[in-house]
Amino acid sequence: MSGDSRFLGLVYLAPYIIGLMVFTALPFAASFYLSFTDYNLMSAPIFTGLENYVKLFTSDRTFRKSLWVTLVYVFTTVPLKLAFALFIAVILNYKLKFINFFRTAFYVPSILGGSIAIAVMWRYLFADVGIVNMGLAAIGFEPVNWFGDPTNALFTITLLRLWQFGSAMVIFLAALQSIDKSLYEAASIDGAGKFATFWHITMPLITPVIFFNLIMQMVQAFQEFNGPYIITQGGPLKSTYLLPLYIYEEAFKRFDMGYASAIAWVLFAIIMVLTVIAFWSSRHWVYYAGDKRS
Amino acid sequence: MKLTKLLLATAFAATSLGQVSQAADLRMSWWGGDSRHKVTQEALKVCGDRYGHKIAAEFTGFDGHLEKVTTQIAGGTEADIMQINWPWLPLFSIKGDGFADLNQFKDIIDLSQWSADDLAAGTMNGKLNGLSVSTTGRVFMFNKTALDKAGVAIPTTWDELFKAAKAVKEKIGPDAYPMNAVKETAVLLISLNATQSTGKDLVDPATKKVAWKPEELAKAIDFYGKMVKDGVVMSQKSVAAEGNLNLFESPKWADGRISGSYEWDSTFSKYADPLKGQKLEPVAILKASDAKTDGVYRKPSMVFSISKRSKDPKAAAQIVNCLLNEPEAIKILGTSRGLPASKIAAKTLTDGGKIEAELLKAHDIIVKANGPTVSPLNEHPEIRSVFLDALEEYAYGQIDSKEAAETIIDGVNGVLKKF
Repeated sequence: MSGDSRFLGLVYLAPYIIGLMVFTALPFAASFYLSFTDYNLMSAPIFTGLENYVKLFTSDRTFRKSLWVTLVYVFTTVPLKLAFALFIAVILNYKLKFINFFRTAFYVPSILGGSIAIAVMWRYLFADVGIVNMGLAAIGFEPVNWFGDPTNALFTITLLRLWQFGSAMVIFLAALQSIDKSLYEAASIDGAGKFATFWHITMPLITPVIFFNLIMQMVQAFQEFNGPYIITQGGPLKSTYLLPLYIYEEAFKRFDMGYASAIAWVLFAIIMVLTVIAFWSSRHWVYYAGDKRS
Repeated sequence: MKLTKLLLATAFAATSLGQVSQAADLRMSWWGGDSRHKVTQEALKVCGDRYGHKIAAEFTGFDGHLEKVTTQIAGGTEADIMQINWPWLPLFSIKGDGFADLNQFKDIIDLSQWSADDLAAGTMNGKLNGLSVSTTGRVFMFNKTALDKAGVAIPTTWDELFKAAKAVKEKIGPDAYPMNAVKETAVLLISLNATQSTGKDLVDPATKKVAWKPEELAKAIDFYGKMVKDGVVMSQKSVAAEGNLNLFESPKWADGRISGSYEWDSTFSKYADPLKGQKLEPVAILKASDAKTDGVYRKPSMVFSISKRSKDPKAAAQIVNCLLNEPEAIKILGTSRGLPASKIAAKTLTDGGKIEAELLKAHDIIVKANGPTVSPLNEHPEIRSVFLDALEEYAYGQIDSKEAAETIIDGVNGVLKKF
């Protein structure tokens, strides 16, 4: 290989590598340093050691509340979303009339889901005189205070996330379609029912995809911002005050960039730990083709 | 001879004006709505052509503008001319060194067009960091049509407001309210009540601490609690249930079920526009008989500042002067930023009949009312957060008014320590 062609690959890669360094690696490193400083954007950062982290874990009630709300949100949203996406994928895997239309229709919310416009629409849907309460009234239920009651507000935000199940569903659908049909035929000959077939054949074969979706959805759920920012502004009583919202407000409303960086790093550490646990546990429940385990 | 002297003087003036700066490429940033964006771009074109500069316009809505300007200033990439919200001055320039000192351009900008108070309001640590574009203040405004329907006169005292609550509920419906108090408006209504009873602003300028005693603030919070209890204003829980809508977007405001509010005078049109076929009237500040002051919350609404890093601050100063003091730009800009603070601009618009009667009336109320000088720190984001959080806990019954007052005073004093 000539010298020119050896460097050609690097030249092709350069835009990506430069972008990664400038827009990801540098801010990543900078935020780590800033998390040990008092930095208000207007003057130079002052190194304060572990002060931000000590304050976070010892005296910041808002952080404790926000962390709890975030964990409840993630541990509610992710399993529900995965289950719902898988359920719809299984239905859409059947050969039905207009199946392509339904597949597209179910995917559309995922394209729109994260947008500001949808968050605004959510605000109108669940308002006290919105369509949801009108529907409840039509079937004889009392209207629900979706946004004003701290116990309901987080659920309303969770529903917005669940509504965006399309991307996980499409991945599940692809996995379901890749399963060898002869396995189902063999199970049918052996007299297995639909549930047994699903539980003993489908589920084990799609565990790599479940694992993939679990990690992706968990990381995304920890970063949720648009929904609570637009719909509830973190309220009432901070019941929807997810950590990304707290980071944003510390950084850009209170100009405490050092403290915001410290919260961001705690959030990063939580995601890392949970991801490591998920990878460790995957040895016990994720099966790959050619896996020697019985 | 006189004519010769005059011609020479004119020629000298024209030459010296030309020498102030060469053609420059400038940027100007501001926030606002569509109408402000349109006229500002038009005025910039006129001013740019007049002085031979090119000015790139950078405009957004209010939401997120502070974040944008902060990031730009932190990165040293801010525009040459910036529209800065007055309460942001201490955030960016507590020592007066965050922006260019406009006193250095007094040969370009005619500073005599501003009152001493206006110049003082834009001065940080002895340096003129911003020129007041307009003065604004909170004013009460009532939907006269809705109140007529309820058979009550427009309230002029707090007592009358409470009586109006009963009348609107009987005649318009159980979900009718004569006043609005959501988030910032609730904070400012409580502040108004505390200011009227104490005669003091939230921040004591001498000690840089909260001027109100805990019992004084607790009394004002109780007053807000009574407003909610007696159906004068909606509870926070009910407002949240509606999706935290802005008042001017609320169907209740549009159809007269909410018939009053306490808003910036400059936003009068924004609140009048949704009231199709109904009449909105600005009225004098409500107060109790034993009030020590009207407690008007009056302040410069915004200032024009020049970046300390501008490569051509003199050219930027020419544009600032053109926008604020020169007739052509004044006429184009009209009242897009409220009633101008510049004397010549106010006169030009008044003489030309360019000011809407209701806006003039609202502004007149603000100007004539009395009250202590308002500190820009009232609207410091951290101070506002402390107030809003404690008020929310009070509104949801988590804490009582005494605890809320103590939380607010401790929190605000904690923030004030930094200044």
